[in-house]
Amino acid sequence: MKSCWFCLIFLFYLINFGNGQSKTKAQNLGEKVQQLMEMNMKRTVLKFNGPRFKEYVKSAPRNYSVIVMFTALAPARSCSICRHANDEFTIVANSFRYPQTYSNKLFFAMVDFDEGSDVFQMLRLNAAPVFMHFPSKGKPKNADTFDIQRVGFAAESIAKWIAERTDIQIRVFRPTNYSGTLAMLMLFILVAGFLYMRRNNLDFLYNKSLWGVCAVFFCFAMVSGQMWNHIRGPPFVHHSHNGISYFHGSSQGQFVLESYIVIVLNAAIVIGMIMMTDAGLRKGDVRMRQIFAIVGLVIVNVFFSIILSIFRSKAHGYPYSFLFK
Amino acid sequence: MKKNSSSFSGWKSLIVFTVLLLAWVCGFASRLFAVIRFESIIHEFDPWFNYRATAYMVEHGFYNFLNWFDERAWYPLGRIVGGTVYPGLMITSGGIHYVLHLLNIPVHIRDICVFLAPIFSGLTAISTYLLTKELWSVGAGLFAACFIAIVPGYISRSVAGSYDNEGIAIFALQITYYLWVKSVKTGSVFWASMAALSYFYMVSAWGGYVFIINLIPLHVFTLLLMGRYSSRLFTSYTVFCILGLLFSMQIPFVGFQPIRTSEHMAALGVFALLIAVGALKHLQSVLSKAEFKYFFIVASITAAAVVFLSVVLLTYAGFIAPWSGRFYSLWDTGYAKIHIPIIASVSEHQPTTWFSFFFDLHILVTTFPVGLWYCIKHINDERVFVVWYAISAVYFAGVMVRLMLTLTPVVCMLSGIAFSRLFEIFLKDDENPSGPESDSEPESSPTRTLPEKPTRLRKNKHTDQSKDNEGLGSNVRSFVIVGILATLLMFAVHCTWVTSNAYSSPSIVLASYAQDGSRQILDDFREAYYWLSQNTDNDARVMSWWDYGYQIAGMANRTTLVDNNTWNNSHIALVGKAMSSTEPDAYKIMKSLDVDYVLVIFGGVIGYSGDDINKFLWMVRIAEGEHPKDIRESDYFTDRGEFRVDAEGSPTLLNCLMYKLSYYRFGELQLDFRSPPGFDRTRNVVIGNKNFDLTYLEEAYTTEHWLVRIYRVKNENEFNRPRIPVSLRKIKRTDTFISKKTSRRKKGLIKNRPVVIRGKKSVKS
Repeated sequence: MKSCWFCLIFLFYLINFGNGQSKTKAQNLGEKVQQLMEMNMKRTVLKFNGPRFKEYVKSAPRNYSVIVMFTALAPARSCSICRHANDEFTIVANSFRYPQTYSNKLFFAMVDFDEGSDVFQMLRLNAAPVFMHFPSKGKPKNADTFDIQRVGFAAESIAKWIAERTDIQIRVFRPTNYSGTLAMLMLFILVAGFLYMRRNNLDFLYNKSLWGVCAVFFCFAMVSGQMWNHIRGPPFVHHSHNGISYFHGSSQGQFVLESYIVIVLNAAIVIGMIMMTDAGLRKGDVRMRQIFAIVGLVIVNVFFSIILSIFRSKAHGYPYSFLFK
Repeated sequence: MKKNSSSFSGWKSLIVFTVLLLAWVCGFASRLFAVIRFESIIHEFDPWFNYRATAYMVEHGFYNFLNWFDERAWYPLGRIVGGTVYPGLMITSGGIHYVLHLLNIPVHIRDICVFLAPIFSGLTAISTYLLTKELWSVGAGLFAACFIAIVPGYISRSVAGSYDNEGIAIFALQITYYLWVKSVKTGSVFWASMAALSYFYMVSAWGGYVFIINLIPLHVFTLLLMGRYSSRLFTSYTVFCILGLLFSMQIPFVGFQPIRTSEHMAALGVFALLIAVGALKHLQSVLSKAEFKYFFIVASITAAAVVFLSVVLLTYAGFIAPWSGRFYSLWDTGYAKIHIPIIASVSEHQPTTWFSFFFDLHILVTTFPVGLWYCIKHINDERVFVVWYAISAVYFAGVMVRLMLTLTPVVCMLSGIAFSRLFEIFLKDDENPSGPESDSEPESSPTRTLPEKPTRLRKNKHTDQSKDNEGLGSNVRSFVIVGILATLLMFAVHCTWVTSNAYSSPSIVLASYAQDGSRQILDDFREAYYWLSQNTDNDARVMSWWDYGYQIAGMANRTTLVDNNTWNNSHIALVGKAMSSTEPDAYKIMKSLDVDYVLVIFGGVIGYSGDDINKFLWMVRIAEGEHPKDIRESDYFTDRGEFRVDAEGSPTLLNCLMYKLSYYRFGELQLDFRSPPGFDRTRNVVIGNKNFDLTYLEEAYTTEHWLVRIYRVKNENEFNRPRIPVSLRKIKRTDTFISKKTSRRKKGLIKNRPVVIRGKKSVKS
């Protein structure tokens, strides 16, 4: 009975206290939003350290969501992925600034490990970068942590995730990348300048061997899957615990070095074929031509066998080989 | 002497004829693996639609086909078929069918469809021979014809039963290029119009015609840059461009695209440029030098400005559509990945590894640069064309696996040039040169005919006789010949192996091999489709994932909701949403779409990896794209981001419709003694949700190996008001009906009969 009374009194006390507190908090909330807005005028992504993080994100009265990126940007940490993630995050934050979406319901912030390591400890984070959404009400749930492993951290997917969590649609505006155009322009100017310098001696333009080498090299590049490398970005070689493997084990993939090796093999076969043909065509010392023909033949057959056995090692169950296993 | 030369040319043409015939026969024969192993059947998915359309055309006539509105697809929307297909394929096989029936040869249209691609591969070989002959020599042409007859890169699209546009399109491509080269060489209006006609055939057959209409202008433009303008070029291009433009607009599916889209603008731009150059050349002969120079500068600047501005203005005004996404993704390789996921998802649109190149082309991929090198070294008007053909095709093949098909012919041609040049030199007798005969001889080696072996031996003996002269010597020559022939032999063996193992599966009938090598045929797909056609209403609507739409329409002749013509993404997303929601939610969607049956493919019993559970994430993704509020991809993963169907799988996955339909009653099934019940052989796990019952659907049919499972969607009264046995009913229904009419009330009377009283108006109540 006594304890019941105690409880009631305690409750009353709590309610009174709560009422009083809520008044100050309401002022607090207005101030907080005001401060955040002011900060936001200067930077699109607010930089938080430990105390600030607690003040603006952790403490209770909030009517705004915060997307926080936990990262380690200091060069000493050598986290290259953090830098990419930071770029993408900044793109999203900048896109949010466009007037049709901008509101004070959502803020973007970041916490660097070197400035707010206590925050990392508090949230038990031991990896960076991590994107978290702190909703305006309640605690962050499981889905409020952005799944980088699965979705990646492209600005579009971050925006999609934000739309999922907060119902605020952000259309991502990427700043136009002029570097490609600029490089093309530079190249064009260089070539034009070169042609202008050599305008009295443009014979090399009629040099068929030059054009031939260019065309053949273009073919080598394509045939060895450089376009695949360009789109998929495979590793140069594969480091595993039992040494370096130069060739991808399956037929679905390839490494960068592997494609270079294929270029060399292809080029060797082509050179061998041309040597043989030219040995037959040319006039001159018979001995030399015979040697050329035989060397060409050996080159063609040996390098073709090598490329065939590499192929065989990638295609499991392929029965044929030539010269070598 | 005269007699000698005539008999020589006679021999030559006989050899050419024999080699081409053998190439045709070998090419045809090596495409028959699937027919011999299984039966004469249409393969895969798209060919089933083509076959269905062809059968419709044969049955109802061409004009009905053009106006065909197919209400059995995309229920309830339907599909306008006549205006959305390239009709060349159907017209070709329909025409063959018509001719054969005129001759009283009763061949079923299905057999024509099955064997169309192998027959056309022979025609492709001949047109490749003609083109290479124009570019280099007869010997190179024969090599190229033999290569293209058996090269896997082309066989992959033209085995018997793969009744698809590409099968005839490569022939149309090669013959168009041949006629174009011929017309550039001769400058005759006749050849140019023939080129335009075959271009018309190509446009009617395949969307890849855009390749032609950009490559030929590129050729003309390069010739202009190289200062190789001639009146021959002027005549052939102007005739080809205008006729080709008009012809291509006759195809309903193409319509006004040739004058309105950017893909076709290059042809018109080069046309204008060629006219301008022609006019300048004429003026040059009329005006004085100073006048001409002044005129040239003014005219070229104004012309360039006018053309550029008009193209920009027309594009902005909307008269010329900008590059279409699919086309744009060829240039900017990152484009598809970001903007068009449906293109990025299709495996045919992936970039190509060196492995695929070697797999499809084998030795040719390593030797075609040699041919390219010699073509550039000995350049002339038509070789400029083949150089551009090679460079553009190799680029496109690098970007997209599927475009390997356009690379294959040019690789065969250039390798043919390389090998024929080599053999021409090394087979030549030093004393008595008989080049053309000897170079056409070793061709037969890739075609693997028996009779060529003795001739080769004889030839080698022949070279032995001429030992001592300033040539390389017979030993060196025979070494080289034997060495090269050995690699060519490897090529022939490789082609046969690849064709037999990789490209000859109908994918409708599956085969599995037991330990002792005996073969077991799994014919579940046709079993299920036949069940549908026999046991369901004629207008029953079957819901399945879009992969199987064409097959259901073609084999079961039932209405489908979505099919492989993926023109309506939101409709596909709706089906995906139904598959990935829970049973009650899915029932609402299915009822709104009038679904009667649901068909799922389940490979867990036999270990078939291409089943619907493995494709399921795509359904979720596509559904999420249209309904982000209801479907979330992350719900279908475990907390650690894995997609798994065992006990640790996410509950959303274990309760969605697709899971339930795939694994219904599977938990009771013990496949063998080593594995527990409910062991999924495809994913090698025991499934997570074993004991569940279906409320809104009932199992209608499951095939022998559980590969196809069909469910019937219940009506609402079947589960809302379950039937209670009579003994348990509270309110007993008496079976005898007792009339309340007694003998007194036997006379019938009308209730509320209006009573008419005389002298009063009836008042309307």
